[in-house]
Amino acid sequence: MTGTWLQRVMTWWIFFRISIEERLVYRVDYVIGTLLRFLPIVTQIFLWMAIFDAASKAVRETGDSFQIAGYRFHEMVAYYLLVTVSRAFSSMPGLTPGIARQIRDGEIKKYLIQPVDLIGSLLLQRIAHKFVYYFVAILPFALVFYLLGDYFPNGWPPVDVLLVFIASLVLSFLLGFFMETLFGLLAFWFLEIASLTFVFMLLNFFLSGHMFPLELLPREPINWQFIVDLLPFKYLAYFPAAVFLGKITGAQLYWGLAIEFAWVVVLILLTRVAWARGVARYSAFGG
Amino acid sequence: MSTKPIETPAKSKPVHPSYGKVLLTFVRNSLVRDMSFRTNFILQCITSLSWALMNFGLYKIIYGHTQQIGHWGEHEFFVFLATLWIINSIVQAFFMPNADEFSELIRTGNLDYALLKPIDTQFLVSFTRIDWSQLTNLATGLVILGISLRQLAHQAVNPLTIAPWTIFAYVFFVACGTVVMYGLMFTLAATSIWLGRNQNLYTFWFYITNFYRYPMEIYQRNALGWSLFATFTFVVPVLLVVNVPARVLARPLRPNWYSYEWLLAGLAVVAAVVSLAMSRLVFRWALNSYRSASS
Amino acid sequence: MAVIEVRQLWKSYRVYQKKEGLIASVRGLFRREYRDVHAVRGIDIDVERGEFIAFLGPNGAGKTTTLKLLSGVIRPSQGTCGVLGFTPWHRDNAYRRRFALVMGQKNQLWWDLPAQESFRLHQHIYRISPDDFTRVRDELADLLNVRKLMSQPVRELSLGERMKMELIAALLHSPEVLFLDEPTIGLDVVAQHNIQQFLKYYQEERKITAMLTSHYMKDVAALCRRVIIIANGLIHYDGSLSGVIGQFGSDKIVTLQLSEDTSFAQFENLPNLIEIIPPKIKFRCARDEVAQVLASFLDKHAVQDVSVEDPPLEEVIAKVFSQAQADHQLRSGESESSNSERKNVRPNRVGERS
Repeated sequence: MTGTWLQRVMTWWIFFRISIEERLVYRVDYVIGTLLRFLPIVTQIFLWMAIFDAASKAVRETGDSFQIAGYRFHEMVAYYLLVTVSRAFSSMPGLTPGIARQIRDGEIKKYLIQPVDLIGSLLLQRIAHKFVYYFVAILPFALVFYLLGDYFPNGWPPVDVLLVFIASLVLSFLLGFFMETLFGLLAFWFLEIASLTFVFMLLNFFLSGHMFPLELLPREPINWQFIVDLLPFKYLAYFPAAVFLGKITGAQLYWGLAIEFAWVVVLILLTRVAWARGVARYSAFGG
Repeated sequence: MSTKPIETPAKSKPVHPSYGKVLLTFVRNSLVRDMSFRTNFILQCITSLSWALMNFGLYKIIYGHTQQIGHWGEHEFFVFLATLWIINSIVQAFFMPNADEFSELIRTGNLDYALLKPIDTQFLVSFTRIDWSQLTNLATGLVILGISLRQLAHQAVNPLTIAPWTIFAYVFFVACGTVVMYGLMFTLAATSIWLGRNQNLYTFWFYITNFYRYPMEIYQRNALGWSLFATFTFVVPVLLVVNVPARVLARPLRPNWYSYEWLLAGLAVVAAVVSLAMSRLVFRWALNSYRSASS
Repeated sequence: MAVIEVRQLWKSYRVYQKKEGLIASVRGLFRREYRDVHAVRGIDIDVERGEFIAFLGPNGAGKTTTLKLLSGVIRPSQGTCGVLGFTPWHRDNAYRRRFALVMGQKNQLWWDLPAQESFRLHQHIYRISPDDFTRVRDELADLLNVRKLMSQPVRELSLGERMKMELIAALLHSPEVLFLDEPTIGLDVVAQHNIQQFLKYYQEERKITAMLTSHYMKDVAALCRRVIIIANGLIHYDGSLSGVIGQFGSDKIVTLQLSEDTSFAQFENLPNLIEIIPPKIKFRCARDEVAQVLASFLDKHAVQDVSVEDPPLEEVIAKVFSQAQADHQLRSGESESSNSERKNVRPNRVGERS
């Protein structure tokens, strides 16, 4: 029994290594891509500077204590920086279209014949990609956070909050992975899913907190805050950032983490069901 | 098999291909193609529309908290936003699919066929495909533009009057902006000949264009801001693309020709010419290093 | 004047040398090692108007590279080349409207549209007058028997039908020079035969100059009188198809029909035996020993029928390829002295030119 177990680990390890090597080949793309990731934040900072300027002047309040939706200016900037960190964990570029393409081109047959689990190997591939990404990205990330350290006047949060923050990041990776995989598997039913992917991206963009802190959403005439709370998107960007900034406190912290965990479990189950059903459908139609 | 002999057509062929007819064929073929995938087409129109509406919603929310962004009032800002959508939708309908396809042609080696044709290669690969669904936001942009201009014309304080020549200037500068975008995009796309797989083209593009989405005033404050402003006005002139036409319309040019606005307008024209010339140069240079992937 | 004139044409590529292993990959992030690959190393070719030439060679020999150089898709590292008096990689419109390249592995038709829409695009690109366009298109479609399929989306066509459409697209502007890169690859026997017949008819009728690469000897035998064998970027043979066998096929295949009562078991140890199907035996024999071997058989056995044949073309070609491979490995130890060597291989063509 240990033999097969060891073999399996070895298989996974080789797979993991190959994925890393494959990633490293495209180095130019990589370094440039990482640095460019921070450009949008720069424009966001300038945009909010202009907004805070105009809004605080209108009420004749000093720039520093003025708040919009409970955020001071430095917190707003810190929020966008932290969201980049969340997104570095939760975003899965190319995952959904990749799965859809494999299904459409029949490449998926490989996984039906070989004793390799598609979702497992994709997950491993992603972990490898993320590791390489952090390896390359840690320097620019450190540099940007160091340069913009002034926007974190309170420094690091307490240890318990920090632990919740890290846990929420790891969970957001899993959440992002299984959400995108689930969307990709829809290709078993809808051959052309490009526009579905776009809908997903759109929802993700606006409801995850990627574009702005979710506190900005109005409660009237539609209670958007309530809608966002019901959906899993906010754990992909907003939640870890809000935890770090101390916007979520006390028992809410652990409740949030528990709900995020529950979403991960639900999505794992859904992916499994979708995979089983999809494969059944696929073999029934003979590809 | 028939044994009818094949006749040789007359040898006196004109040297130049009919560019206009080729372009029309592209327009027609893309339309026929889009219409044969109707569901997808409609879905794409809807998603583009919802993207625009969500953006609109976001700025509505922001203007709930402030009255100005970089001296742009709400309706002025929506003139800016509408201009952004108009230019963006033209870029996404006409340039984006081709730039994307261009990288794909290089990867698969199918650029071979484009190189064989007795027609300007850059023309051929620039206009082959048109994504008609992306023009949704051209319409959305025009609607928002109309509404905002109406609001501006009827506001109590300082109502806006729009002269006919302003409309003409607006269209002209939108065209300039579009040309700048074309030049930048194809310069970028041509680099896939050297960089090989250039999957990040879209991402890259998104980041570069990120700067042109806002009024230039927001950058004009500290050292970093001014240097960004200078970079994206003079080096990679994306800031001129939307700002110039939007200003022409929402904040009419002052008649004195030496003002800041006139300077920007002149710069927009120069930027259009230079970036077009550059795309041409880089494109030719890149084609010389084309390796042609074997199948 | 020759239609195609190639002199000392070289094409080299630099390729990134990927190393095995994780640590090497990480190192590759910072420093890369490159290796030069010579796809074509100094070839000379002359083609007269109306010739139909086959380019033979193993995968990676440089056939496709040569066709791409001739059609101006890529630029050579060294050497000159003239097709119809033009330098291909200058890509003059005047040149480009006079030749065509068909690649069996790639397609240029709009996938989701009927082929005739792609034809119409070609009409405008090549500026073919409406009358000429309709006439040539219909003639080609009739010859290839695909007239009814022109209004069907290309994606719904079979591979053979699609290839026929590709041919029509390539021939609409009546090119004078035609390059064919594996035009029958992946096709079934019937479609292959149709395309061969078409190309043969078309080339003879129009007296165009054509060059073909193919892995199917049937294509070559049906279409080309002259073959050029290229391996490792060097030309190893340039001459008539029958000459290949004369030069490289040193064996003959001998088939003997013996009387029924012969005990066939005695032949099982015969050297170079191919098969025994009583009452026939088949074996291989060196060319200069055929007479002697036959005489001894006629002497000892009751021979009823004799046939002496050349070995199949595929076999001879395979032999040339493996010989070329062995030569290359031998040589690769020495420096790149292939220039002078190549001249020794084919002094006749060098002489012809002067």
